[in-house]
Amino acid sequence: MKKWLQLGLGILTAVGGFFDMGAMATSAQAGANFRFQLLWAVAVATLMVVFLVEMSGRFAAVSNKALPDAIREHFGFTFWVVPFLVLSLSTFLVLATEIGGICFALHLVTGLPTPLMALPVAVLTWLFLWRSTFSTIENSTSLLGLITLAFVVAAFRHHPPAHEVLQGFVPSLPGEDPLKYWAIAVSIVGAVLSPYLFYFYSSGAVEDHWDESYVGVNRGIAAIGMGFGSVISLAGIVVAAMALAPRGIQVDDYHQAALMLTDAFPFWGFLLFAVSMGIACLGAALEVALAMAYSLAQTFGWNWGENLDPREDARFSTVYTVVLLLAALPILFGVDPLKLTILAMASEAAVLPFVALPFVLLMNDRKLLKEHANGWISNTVAGIVLLVALVLTAVSIPLALLGGGG
Amino acid sequence: MKKLDLARDVLDKLVVDKGGTKMGRVDGLVLDLQGGGPPRVEVIEMGFVVLARRVHPRVERWVERLRRWSVRKTARQRVPWAKVKEVTPYHVQVDLEALKTPAFDWERWLRDHFVAKVPGED
Amino acid sequence: MGGDKVRFELLLGKKVRDPEGVRVGRILSVTAEIEGEDCVVREYHLGTAALLARLGISPFGRQPLRVPWDLMDLSDPEHPRLRCLAAELPGKTR
Repeated sequence: MKKWLQLGLGILTAVGGFFDMGAMATSAQAGANFRFQLLWAVAVATLMVVFLVEMSGRFAAVSNKALPDAIREHFGFTFWVVPFLVLSLSTFLVLATEIGGICFALHLVTGLPTPLMALPVAVLTWLFLWRSTFSTIENSTSLLGLITLAFVVAAFRHHPPAHEVLQGFVPSLPGEDPLKYWAIAVSIVGAVLSPYLFYFYSSGAVEDHWDESYVGVNRGIAAIGMGFGSVISLAGIVVAAMALAPRGIQVDDYHQAALMLTDAFPFWGFLLFAVSMGIACLGAALEVALAMAYSLAQTFGWNWGENLDPREDARFSTVYTVVLLLAALPILFGVDPLKLTILAMASEAAVLPFVALPFVLLMNDRKLLKEHANGWISNTVAGIVLLVALVLTAVSIPLALLGGGG
Repeated sequence: MKKLDLARDVLDKLVVDKGGTKMGRVDGLVLDLQGGGPPRVEVIEMGFVVLARRVHPRVERWVERLRRWSVRKTARQRVPWAKVKEVTPYHVQVDLEALKTPAFDWERWLRDHFVAKVPGED
Repeated sequence: MGGDKVRFELLLGKKVRDPEGVRVGRILSVTAEIEGEDCVVREYHLGTAALLARLGISPFGRQPLRVPWDLMDLSDPEHPRLRCLAAELPGKTR
């Protein structure tokens, strides 16, 4: 059925939204420092994100509006302005991080210094957005993103102790270095529950002209798409646990993470890591830049759409152009990609309630969603997400400063 | 006769032109108190300045100062209520052509000075 | 703004008091009717229930306080005033 081809949206969102620089960094650190003990954090975050992504898709399919659009309309500008600014700032940091990821991947392959790549990468990413339609981006990034399966293959090749792996899915308290443990756990959740993810998925659904008939397939897409990203992240932790932890590598520097795949793939490991990282971060950069343009254009009522030619939505196109160039600056000026990642993930965790709260309220609006408004299961999960989000807001930045990696 | 909730159905709603092109949002509404009778909605206002005022008068002043560099000639676009064709749950449709209105000043400027200048555009 | 024009978006959220200074609530909603080419204000809705209704959450039985247009004095838009006493509002259930 043609709708299942929409799986492309799900996988793209996952490649870009789930498995990005943040997920790679946090998975590597989690595995290297605590072996399998933090697998549960990824599992819990996955469960939450599947529900939230499903809600984003359902919302867009039924109301034909994307999230930022609906939030300004429903709650008014004065309510939206502060969350909007705060979320934009966090999302901008994430974009800088993803650009950093692509630059670092290129640095691994070419040996050239990371800052040198910043502007070329920004321009290349921009070119991709300028010339493509939403479908092209969706399909190409999803297909290319499949290379990240290298992590899954590597995880199996290591033959990890099954008993320990399974135990990792049960939340446990760390034996030592609790601050670092919880800092990484919080970063994992922050990395997965990125606000830009919901902007992107709901806007993407509108770009792909979803209607009420997509509600069913949306559930599958959300689950499979996010599930895919989750599996890669889990594999990342396993590989780091098997390859890095025994060597005492703590991933204070991203170069250490690059060695992750060399045990499983002696010849290609380094390259595979770089390519996976480059592609995952490219997908993310595309997604985040678009998410920022979507959110701005929808907030102010401009014409928007990646499927449109830039001539038809000049303001929308200008936004992603400017944002990409600005986001290249931190890396250009030599900010360490890993440190930037930690800051960005912490900021995402901190700002989550700003989008989660209006989102959950909207999901209960029967006038807008009719019979597709949240039932008690979705609401329960949403409620838990909100609670977790509030806790994260309180602890994320202090933890990042006190215990975060690096 | 149609009943509206001005806050829920009009303010912050997407404004589209007669062809359905997105023009902006209802950033403000001016009520005419008309002396003795019930207040009527006189105009819809669109513009960053209008939004700025909603946040804080000081923010409005900053935005006013930034307008020196603006391409727009009018800070607020005023659309008389008489030009409103319909109000639906999705948008407020007005009897205008977006491309010819101040709402599209920036859109036109960017299209002509930026998008058109990017090599490869035919 | 001139004496006979009011910015609706700034009116929202303003506290309303009656002639004796008793606080009645905040303006959270305004209903209007389309009559031909005009859009004419009918009622002001005050209070928390009005806010919830506007957000799409059904208020648990609490009805918003409704003030007909002729009972609202907007000559000073920063301080809207009721023209009657709070207790005299039609249908007040407080």
